[in-house]
Amino acid sequence: MRLSIRDSPEQVGLYVGDYLAKRINEFKPSAEKPLFVLGLPTGSSPLPTYQRLVELVQRGDLSFKNVVTFNMDEYVGLPRDHPESYHTFMYTNFFSKIDIQPNNTHILDGEAEDLLHECAEYERKIKSVGGIDIFMGGMGEDGHLAFNEPGSSLVSRTRIKTLAYDTILANARFFNNDLSAVPRMALTVGIATLMDAREVILVVTGQKKAMALAQCIENGINHFWTASALHSHPWSLLVCDEDATLELRVKTVRYFKSIEKVQDEVEAKYGGAAVRKTRVNGVH
Amino acid sequence: MGITRFTNCSLALPDGSLRRSDLFIDTDSGKIISGQAHFFSTRQPVDRTIHLQGNILAPGYIDAQINGAFGVDFSSIDEGDATYLKRLNEVSRRIVETGTTSYVPTIITQRKELYQKLLPLLRPRSAPDGAHVLGYHAEGPFLIPEKKGAHEESFLLDASQGIKSWEEVYGAAALDQEGVKIVTAAPDVEGVLECIKPAVERGVTVSIGHSNAPVDVAAKAVSLGASWVTHLFNAMPQMHHRDPGVIGTLGAQDESQRPFYGLIVDGIHVHPNAVRLAYDCHPEGAVLVTDAMSLMDPRLPDGKHEWRDGRYIVRDGLRLYIEGTSTLAGSAISLDHCVRNLASFTSIPLSKAIQCATWNVAQMLGGDVAKRKGALLEGRDADLVVLDRDGFLQSTWVMGKEVYTL
Repeated sequence: MRLSIRDSPEQVGLYVGDYLAKRINEFKPSAEKPLFVLGLPTGSSPLPTYQRLVELVQRGDLSFKNVVTFNMDEYVGLPRDHPESYHTFMYTNFFSKIDIQPNNTHILDGEAEDLLHECAEYERKIKSVGGIDIFMGGMGEDGHLAFNEPGSSLVSRTRIKTLAYDTILANARFFNNDLSAVPRMALTVGIATLMDAREVILVVTGQKKAMALAQCIENGINHFWTASALHSHPWSLLVCDEDATLELRVKTVRYFKSIEKVQDEVEAKYGGAAVRKTRVNGVH
Repeated sequence: MGITRFTNCSLALPDGSLRRSDLFIDTDSGKIISGQAHFFSTRQPVDRTIHLQGNILAPGYIDAQINGAFGVDFSSIDEGDATYLKRLNEVSRRIVETGTTSYVPTIITQRKELYQKLLPLLRPRSAPDGAHVLGYHAEGPFLIPEKKGAHEESFLLDASQGIKSWEEVYGAAALDQEGVKIVTAAPDVEGVLECIKPAVERGVTVSIGHSNAPVDVAAKAVSLGASWVTHLFNAMPQMHHRDPGVIGTLGAQDESQRPFYGLIVDGIHVHPNAVRLAYDCHPEGAVLVTDAMSLMDPRLPDGKHEWRDGRYIVRDGLRLYIEGTSTLAGSAISLDHCVRNLASFTSIPLSKAIQCATWNVAQMLGGDVAKRKGALLEGRDADLVVLDRDGFLQSTWVMGKEVYTL
């Protein structure tokens, strides 16, 4: 697991956006397979990242023409065109501003007739495109990934989840502070689904996430902080701002900063290619 | 033809604001659609993307008072129905050059017999590649002689039998036909007040005009259902501080009793200061109209032109006078010019001026028009204008099809 600490949420957005662009461009996806498969989140933390990606597309430095996306989750029972649905979030903040092909985007359908079938189908579709190359996500205040809330199985797959009351409370601000208007259930990818991705990148910004970040990095794998499952992932990167480090030990912060410093020295001396070679097995 | 996406543009929204956003239209149905709904339900890319280079995209303009244009006089039916409709289509095709995508042909005071020939022809119709005719605007004959303006006095009537007088002149069928039906009448003419409620119940938009009414009579007309004031300031008494008259309805204490009001913003019919005063007092009610005459045609030269009933009109730029008088005979201005004038006279943003030629007009006309026209909203007709940032027309679209380009 690598932790990269940036100065601010905007810097996090720049860093992750540029990183994703670099990985997509190096992959050189084309119309004939393989396409680049990206997992995507919603929420306020990834917004600066989406803005950076949009900027790069508009500048002509990045194209999503041959990129396939899978979102993490969607509310159950909320109409697709509802202002708070994750379909609306993705269209408004991302899909409408880039050159992605509509049929290359995938978001769980919370209004599906057969929700169980919808979840199974989603897993099948991910498999059919060869699995996910990079899954980008955020981390909840309670350390959750997607809607895998405390207590979720660490070997779970895409399924229906009932939301924790705390999550409903946290979401109320998007529904005019009307608790009764907040959806009670969601479809979500599972922890195992995320772990299957070849690379996972988490965007964690703000003081509210500090406790969760500390629990997930410094303590053991624990189903109460499901993001800690990433300890067992071969290639995960967490990018956070200074505020999100507030509950980490000074020692931890210094350790990760020192790794980055060494990396910068290596890249300066041997060039980026040498560093990539060391990641050939995808483990570090 | 499929889905067209307008991008790199600022949308003029119904609340008078400008927002940088894309607009999606379905050229087969002629409607504005939601880009998001299309994205997720069809999973198809759009068929055509048009880059508007930062220009303004607005709803097509709606003119609710226009007497003629391009050499055609809507009140003249001398050559029979077929010719009348043919000439109406000609106007529809040309008027899109002014950014107008819907209009209401206006009939000024006529001899009684003509109404029942004319009004049935003015049901909603759309010329291919042209603007929509929404219905009719009968300005007269129930007007006050002292405020006749350019109308012929001998044709003016009273409504001594109430709504039966209106039926006798316009025809009962015309009062019930589909589409927009505007009647301008003076509430101080005998019997007119009793006509208002029954007419409104039949779907007629009643407008106060060519009147000497004191403010309480005008207010009574509004309370009975009159929802518009025809060309505010013109053909009505000046506002007196102890009896503000028809103009005074804009200052009604109860906001719901402040009517919409037409304004001819050519800088000639109404002084810019007066325009500003009226707009500031009641911005939601402002409806821009041209009150244009057959001589409205940017290519027509100045000088004497034959008009009707043996009279001549003298054209001097945007001024049209009845020959030998200083009476304004109507205007020669185009609606897009009015929008630019309103913005500059009142110092409001262009998008707020656009609201007065689109959303406000649609709301005033009510019914089907209020649901389908006058706003860039999902489900509405794709009648659009592209304007540069100064409000000059670049192109006009009717039902999703480009019908005029600069």
